[in-house]
Amino acid sequence: MTDQKAGRVDRVVMRDIRKRYGMVDALRGVTLRVGPGEVVGLVGDNAAGKSTLMKVLAGAVVPDSGEIVFDGRTVSFATPKDARELGIEMVYQDLALCDDIDVAGNLFLGREPRKAGGMLLDVRKMHADARRHLDALNIRIPLTDIPVGGLSGGQRQAVAIARAVTFGPKLLILDEPTAALAVAEVETVLELIKTVSAQGVSVILITHRLQDLFRVCDRLCVMYEGTLRADLDARSTSLERLVSEIVAHDTEEKEGRRR
Amino acid sequence: MTVTSQRVVTTRSARASAHIGRHAQTIAIAVVLVALLIFFAFTADRFATTGNLFNLMRQIAPTLIVATAMTFVIGTAGIDLSVGSTVALSGSLLAIVLQNGWDPTVALIAIIALGALIGFVNGWFSSYQHIPPFIVTLAMLSIMRGTALRATEGYSTPIDGDLWIVQIGQGRIAGVPIPAILAVVVALVGWLVLTRTPFGRYVIGLGSNGESLRRTGVNTRKVGLAVYVLTGAAAAVAGVLIATRLSSGSSNAGSGFELEVITAVVLGGTSLFGGRASMLGTILGALTLGVIANGLVLLHVSPFYVQIVQGGILLLAIFANSKVWAKFGAIRK
Ligand SMILES: Nc1ncnc2c1ncn2[C@@H]1O[C@H](COP(=O)(O)OP(=O)(O)OP(=O)(O)O)[C@@H](O)[C@H]1O
Ligand SMILES: [Mg+2]
Repeated sequence: MTDQKAGRVDRVVMRDIRKRYGMVDALRGVTLRVGPGEVVGLVGDNAAGKSTLMKVLAGAVVPDSGEIVFDGRTVSFATPKDARELGIEMVYQDLALCDDIDVAGNLFLGREPRKAGGMLLDVRKMHADARRHLDALNIRIPLTDIPVGGLSGGQRQAVAIARAVTFGPKLLILDEPTAALAVAEVETVLELIKTVSAQGVSVILITHRLQDLFRVCDRLCVMYEGTLRADLDARSTSLERLVSEIVAHDTEEKEGRRR
Repeated sequence: MTVTSQRVVTTRSARASAHIGRHAQTIAIAVVLVALLIFFAFTADRFATTGNLFNLMRQIAPTLIVATAMTFVIGTAGIDLSVGSTVALSGSLLAIVLQNGWDPTVALIAIIALGALIGFVNGWFSSYQHIPPFIVTLAMLSIMRGTALRATEGYSTPIDGDLWIVQIGQGRIAGVPIPAILAVVVALVGWLVLTRTPFGRYVIGLGSNGESLRRTGVNTRKVGLAVYVLTGAAAAVAGVLIATRLSSGSSNAGSGFELEVITAVVLGGTSLFGGRASMLGTILGALTLGVIANGLVLLHVSPFYVQIVQGGILLLAIFANSKVWAKFGAIRK
């Protein structure tokens, strides 16, 4: 509230988001807000609904109900294109890239540089720009014209990250971006998060590497079985507290059920 | 230092092997084609004459035109089995409407639009309703063949040889048959679209990983529908070519045509599982099938064998495609 009085509008507010998959209640009314330049860590058990919530925000999943306000305007995303046009980029946990398309092609998929009045791909520019973007992000992939199916898991993930950050997003969603990365590459991603958030980009980071969260996050949101259970300040929260928030509910519920 | 250069080396070899893997089948089919050309040139004395080669080009023109469109469909991991029936229906209807005094230009446009509409229906069911294209187009195969039979009552309808439209099938420009010119143009445009346009890129992306493509904001359903419109329209063009070549529209035309087209595409190295498509391969595949059919006839082999040989080639091509060439490539499906 005080933020809004000071003229600072939240970058994004998700209100009471619900999504059912048949018998599975993936999201049971989640409310989440992220400020401009803020880094929010989203944690929770497997199947807590983190990826589903983020896919809703990226337009890849249409929620059953709920409201999304982006930069003060109520929006609704029918397709990922709608979200992408507003500057929401996501690195997905699964199905990120097209294996048969080369590195540069994947990087520009959906917004290829064109020539001849938009009719033809500008392949030369695509490779040159891809080289520039990868170098700027310190991503070591020597060739941009090999199909990504031939790359290592970490290299593939690096390409997916590069795709998300390259086009100047306002909100960057990273769903387990470091899962396949080596130590040095993880550091690069954490530095990247710090750099872009300093430039005003909001970041939502999902990871099971809890120690990373404390290094880059401003706030930590804990999800549990399709609900948001806790919203913590990263600076004043201890690792023990966070772990207990993630698992404690679990034991309580189980005991409750047993009785 | 050494680590980086090693990495470069391994990736370079990855690129080399990926490229060889992708083009292995295209190279192989080119070798087979050359071998066949040499074989028939020596065994069938009328084979290597200009007249026969032009004739061959005219014969394979319908196959090549539809195979070009089919390369897009199979590239998306789809299939269109209805093209043979669409050939029959469009040829029959063309003859019927011409007999009823339609203007040939209007008739031509209407027939191609009808083909596109048939493709649209195929595409709507498979891409927007997620019904397997195998089933959708199999049903359409039956519906269109039945419609053609009903429209003609099983008789073939003659086309007046004085109409200009007959030139599409029978005419020549500078000695080259018009169907051959048309087929080459269509194949070249198809190659350009597949390799150099965003649409071609999305076709490959859809076959490779449709959900990933959708998440980048591409309207994948539209792409998935458009490829069937291409095969539908191409099949109508093929129907027109065949009917005007024979000066008659028959509801029995194009039986087994879908098999021939799919064989040409698969023979060229396009993967039935989508994500990999080679237009050059399709051209070589269509040529190879044409050379075999033409050569066997010149050698006075019973025409019934041609069908047996074609089926055998299809099986062999799919086997090579999924088992042999996959070993060369870095990518496995
Ligand atoms: N497309 C889908 N169809 C059916 N159920 C789904 C689908 N996507 C997600 N779910 C279900 O929704 C629930 C939440 O899944 P989600 O992937 O959001 O969890 P998560 O918090 O990201 O877990 P993890 O940490 O393992 O990635 C799970 O029970 C999952 O089975
Ligand atoms: Mg997840």
